Amino acid sequence: MALSEYKRDMQGCSRCSSCKWVPFNQVKSWRFSKNCPSISRYNFQAYSGSGKMTMGLSMLDERSKLNETISNIIYQCQLCGACDTACKVYRDDIDLTEVLLELRAKCVESGELIIEHMALIDALKSEGNTLGEPKGKRGEWADGLKVKNINNNTCEVLFHAGCRSSYDPDLRDTMRGHVELLLSSGINVGIAGAEESCCGGRAYEIGYRGEARNYAEDMLSRVKSSGISTLVTSCADCYAHFQYLYPRMGMKLPVKVMHISQYLEKLILEGKLNLRHKIPLLVTYHDPCHLGRMGEPFLTDWTGDKLLRPMRMKRAGRMGIYDPPRKVLTSIPGLELVEMERIREYSWCCGAGGGVLEAFPDLASWTAQERISEALATGAEALVTTCPWCERIFRDTLAKTNVSLPVYDLTDLVLKSAGVPEHTKV
Amino acid sequence: MISDEAYRELENAIGPENISREPAIMDGYAWQALETTDPDIWTTRPIAVVLPSSIEEVQAIIEVCKKYRLRFKAFSTGWGVHASVGYENVILIDLRRMNRILEIDEKNMYAVIEPYVCGAQLQAEAMKVGLNTHMIGAGCGPSPLASATSFQGMGWDGIYMSTSGRNVLGVEWVLPSGEVLRLGSLGSDSGWFCGDGPGPSLRGIMRGAIAAVGSLGVFTKCALKLFNWPGPPQPEVKGLLLDAKTKVASNFKLYLCTFPDREKFSDAAYKIGEAEIGYIQVKNAIGLMLATMMPHLLKKLSRADALKKALGAIGHQFMIMFAAHSQNELDYQMKVLSQIVSENQGVLLDISQIRPFYETFWWGLVRNSIPPLIFRALGNFHLGFGTDESFDSQSFAKKLGEDVKEKWIADGAILDDLSDNAWMFLYENGMWSHYEELFLFDHRNPKQIGAISSINKNFLQVTKDNNICVGLYAHEPAARKMFSPLQGNYNHWQKKILHMLGGESVSDTTYYTDEKDLLQNASMFCRESLSSGP
Amino acid sequence: MAKKTLNLMSLKGILGAENVSTEKEKLMSYIEAGLVSGAKPEAVVRPKNTAQVTELINLARSERMNLIFSSSSHPRFHGGAIPDHEGVIVDMSGMDKIMRMDRRNKVALVEPGVTFNHLTKAAGEAGLKVLMPLLPRSGKSVLASYLEREPILIPKYHWDMTDPLLCTELIFGTGDLFHTGSSAGPGSLEQQWKAGRVQKTPMGPGQTDFVRVVQGSQGTMAAVTWSSVKLEIKPSVHHIWFIPDKNLSKLVDFTYKALRPKLGDEFLILNAITLATIIADDEDSIPDLAAKQAPWTLIYGVSGYEYLPAERVAYQESDLSKIAQSAGISAISEVPGCSANRMDRILSCPSREPYYKQRPKGAFTDIFFLTTLDRAQEFISVMKHEAEEHTYSASEIGVYLQPIQQGRAIHLEFTLYYNPIDEKEVEKARSLFTSASSALSKAGAFYSRPYGIWADLAYSKCPDTVSVLRKVKDMLDPDHVLNQGKLCFNKEVI
Repeated sequence: MALSEYKRDMQGCSRCSSCKWVPFNQVKSWRFSKNCPSISRYNFQAYSGSGKMTMGLSMLDERSKLNETISNIIYQCQLCGACDTACKVYRDDIDLTEVLLELRAKCVESGELIIEHMALIDALKSEGNTLGEPKGKRGEWADGLKVKNINNNTCEVLFHAGCRSSYDPDLRDTMRGHVELLLSSGINVGIAGAEESCCGGRAYEIGYRGEARNYAEDMLSRVKSSGISTLVTSCADCYAHFQYLYPRMGMKLPVKVMHISQYLEKLILEGKLNLRHKIPLLVTYHDPCHLGRMGEPFLTDWTGDKLLRPMRMKRAGRMGIYDPPRKVLTSIPGLELVEMERIREYSWCCGAGGGVLEAFPDLASWTAQERISEALATGAEALVTTCPWCERIFRDTLAKTNVSLPVYDLTDLVLKSAGVPEHTKV
Repeated sequence: MISDEAYRELENAIGPENISREPAIMDGYAWQALETTDPDIWTTRPIAVVLPSSIEEVQAIIEVCKKYRLRFKAFSTGWGVHASVGYENVILIDLRRMNRILEIDEKNMYAVIEPYVCGAQLQAEAMKVGLNTHMIGAGCGPSPLASATSFQGMGWDGIYMSTSGRNVLGVEWVLPSGEVLRLGSLGSDSGWFCGDGPGPSLRGIMRGAIAAVGSLGVFTKCALKLFNWPGPPQPEVKGLLLDAKTKVASNFKLYLCTFPDREKFSDAAYKIGEAEIGYIQVKNAIGLMLATMMPHLLKKLSRADALKKALGAIGHQFMIMFAAHSQNELDYQMKVLSQIVSENQGVLLDISQIRPFYETFWWGLVRNSIPPLIFRALGNFHLGFGTDESFDSQSFAKKLGEDVKEKWIADGAILDDLSDNAWMFLYENGMWSHYEELFLFDHRNPKQIGAISSINKNFLQVTKDNNICVGLYAHEPAARKMFSPLQGNYNHWQKKILHMLGGESVSDTTYYTDEKDLLQNASMFCRESLSSGP
Repeated sequence: MAKKTLNLMSLKGILGAENVSTEKEKLMSYIEAGLVSGAKPEAVVRPKNTAQVTELINLARSERMNLIFSSSSHPRFHGGAIPDHEGVIVDMSGMDKIMRMDRRNKVALVEPGVTFNHLTKAAGEAGLKVLMPLLPRSGKSVLASYLEREPILIPKYHWDMTDPLLCTELIFGTGDLFHTGSSAGPGSLEQQWKAGRVQKTPMGPGQTDFVRVVQGSQGTMAAVTWSSVKLEIKPSVHHIWFIPDKNLSKLVDFTYKALRPKLGDEFLILNAITLATIIADDEDSIPDLAAKQAPWTLIYGVSGYEYLPAERVAYQESDLSKIAQSAGISAISEVPGCSANRMDRILSCPSREPYYKQRPKGAFTDIFFLTTLDRAQEFISVMKHEAEEHTYSASEIGVYLQPIQQGRAIHLEFTLYYNPIDEKEVEKARSLFTSASSALSKAGAFYSRPYGIWADLAYSKCPDTVSVLRKVKDMLDPDHVLNQGKLCFNKEVI
């Protein structure tokens, strides 16, 4: 759709400012009451969800033109969805995230490109991943693991690693751990190895829709030909794109899509995963945006007047994945979970998404630091998440400070409690 | 346009990252659909936006404005068209960076805040020490400082927590001249506890029924009264709004009281005031309830005349919440309410028994997170009357308001909300009361936005013809022109105050002294310099 | 500009000869108020209506007259109506109508000459109660008391500093008539009443709030010719309780905890001498009675109204009793020389004659200001130190703490009693008054009602306020015809 097709959404903004705050019911303190990293950092109204919609309207009404300054504002945004969730508390007829995505597509169409994003796309085209790492090395994280390759085996479950996890050496143990847990639970799981490529979601988010479609088609084709019944991923971004973006592009994957946290919960409930070792640790859990509010499955596309759209059909973050990771954590003996103030649908972003990590690393770090401050305020001894992008940015940001706060993936703790000795991250 | 020299001076004063003149960024402050009557929605674009972080920076900005003959207007959360600028040469001072809660004096029950603290933030911190803050009708997102010093301030907790204009204590105020005035005890270095004196109170020139809407300088700090909160320091709430769940403490109760007619409804309200019971009290408008909670159903109801009539028959109702500090007090309040309702042939519904509706509603009322739902039905609302006076006079006005709306509903100009969309409540245990007749419309619908100025005119004319107390819109140029002569020429004095404080050439006076004729499709903005303006 | 001779003929032309007096005795009654002496007025005039007041002000403008408005009868104590410069006293006591009494809306419209006695009686007949300060003198004008921001006894009814004053009819020093609050219109009063309006909204009109500017102005900004005042329901059950204690901090603790949930009605703390002064049957018994009292006594009232009055009283008494217990104190129904019922009667009426503060020694002077309750002890210590420095017995200084604004602040008042015939005592009192006023100001006392020397003390601390106040004065009274020299306004005679 073109930006002009969202004109009613943009015009509908009543300037209530809800998009800048945690949904008001959940404001628990002065300190942790804001929800939008962009306006929290840069302060001008234009940086807020409402402000960006107004910018779009200004351009559509030919009151202003798209230029580098505007393009920067559009892209200095993680597309975390917090503004949309807050707006949807009150409105049925405004799809803020869609407007933000359209603004990016417009930037790309108009040639207002971010250099770092161009590099990302080039890397994607040449190596099939957003990091620019060699395509041939994509599957090396699984070397030595007794896991099938779906290209020449029949499996029930395809484990999709994702770009970040495939190449990040710090995350390798966790990645191997995901698969080991599945294998040890008797799951017929396979991986695509070097044949796996990017889900294409990041490309879509930064406005390169054509490229995104290409990778979605590739993924759809692989899944169709694999014969699997379930696709499991440990990357929250990929999860969101499989659940929301693909069906929205008319390429719904014909399999069940699950995040690793959901699968682990399933294994625990089925008694296939025995968490027997105590971990006496006070932890706090960070909800990845793409697993939570942005990971809501795509609902039927409503084509009528949005004022008449039923609540169940508006993307409001209600059906994101919030409870499975928490249930997994609380299943670990000795582990205690303390919540941050901004959680679930109104979680504060880690800072890495939407192309910000690549193009505006200072905003990404600033955002992550804010989240780390919130984690520290709980008194937790460790920060747990279940997304490689979140984990990466938290680690990198902490490394620049002298604050000691271990960051774990959910699976790291499960591995420890399940008694998998090779993994020593915890 | 702002000259490069002026822009550079402002950059030097506040840092280059805190100023912009980029058109699209300016337009972020120029789209104001709320409470507008202008079909164009776009208001005047400021020539620059600045983000000061301190009173010194505010003063520096004003000095630049004076030097280069520019105007300025203070801005915080930006709720409503009155937050926009009205002239072509205005610097908008966005106070977002001045956002601290400086102090909460738990014993003496007040908080000292900066402009960009929002109601929810203040309440969250106040509750931790057993206190609560008055919340305004716009919700908990706007700024309590802006409400108290610069706009209106009524809210459904008025029965217990009054209204913003009466909750102000010490104030730190940068006048249009750039000088700093500290009101009351603050000015005498005696603390924040009193906003009046020595001798005459300068709160009297700061605001009246409404305040100066950014025309009299910049308010950088103020102390606001806090009130007792007998609830938990941090209520545990799950959910975002309509899905909210919480455990409501047993010292709270919520009732819906329905009466057979307007007279009994009024009588009961008076008795509740006299009995000095209640923490939150507000008329329950069925039309408003449906518009916010079940807008699709409301839209279907417009075709069901019989059902509409039936709902209208039970339209004389209000909600009342008790927040007792002791079981004794709660028991007493419940018994008294029961008697009052019974004596007035009413029906008393204990909403506390209707879970989970109770939990949702309880927190929505206390946190005041419900109000932005007003946008849900059609995207916008406006209001008629907005008066503050005796409850009887409000009931009288209410009937007139319904008559006005019925005509426009029939015309399709506004949503059919059963003509029952009154926002009406008691202040200060019934000392006086507030009433505004809301109406909902879609400003994206040309017919509806085109009708708004006529509806506004209709309400104003009814106000004048029936001697109804002049209300919320008194800050608007057309209403000022109409009513100032009927109210002692207050605008004559406002112009003098403006002159006295040095604001004639630097203030954006659109919503303080400007006057404009009330035309059929009058623009409430003054995009060209007014011939009657400074 | 040379001062003009008083134009008595014009005055008589406006008011009638019988309402213009130059009798010496009458003039002299306006020269002194306690230790404050002023200039001798040139005449005392008595207008009967708003039109006459307006004409008077216009005459004053053309004749360069100084007008000092006064509504209460003699004696005066604080000096607001004592002229700093020669001028004409405008005695408003002749405008003494209760224009309207409205039980349903708990409001009355009163002219300046209406006294507490008068209004209490009329309100009582309507089932209403007047919000009174502590024992106002019998000739005290209700409107004058409220204009002066005298603190009322019941903190829960004091929502804002203007209370119980609501709307006003003003005539500025420009001669312009102005109505404040919802009385401003549209429509005449009669038209407003027809629309159900009762002049109860205190703010406005528009974006002005001149009632606040006029209140506390000691008549320097405008003349007030009527006002609406809020009344409350007369309780059907009313109890008074005493909490005597030697420890003020316990009473302070109790006060904070009680007022926070808006418990109780009357709420005040008196020291022994002040309590004794109020309750003594005769002047001679005051010292003995004071000796029998606890150093501090808190007095509070509890009311029941129309619905379940006894139950209301019972639950409030129970809750207050628990709070008292937690503060380590307890309430009793009698103190030496006074039962609860008797105190109830005392507090509901103006002072009997002679004015209660005149009873110990014949004369007195007050020092009062605003602060917060948690600082009261600090100021009491300052006063004690000053008393010692002036060889004044601290136990002979009256102390009165009146919570205001629902407990967010207090009016703290010290009373120095002295024999007006004994020159040494007079001098001692004056010296202590001057020294203590200054010391208290330095300690942070806020002279919200800056009479006499307090004006200099108060305004020297807030030059920004002074700057703006002078501009307001020039706006509302450009010819400075209203109570010249008061507050921070130009002290030169025009």
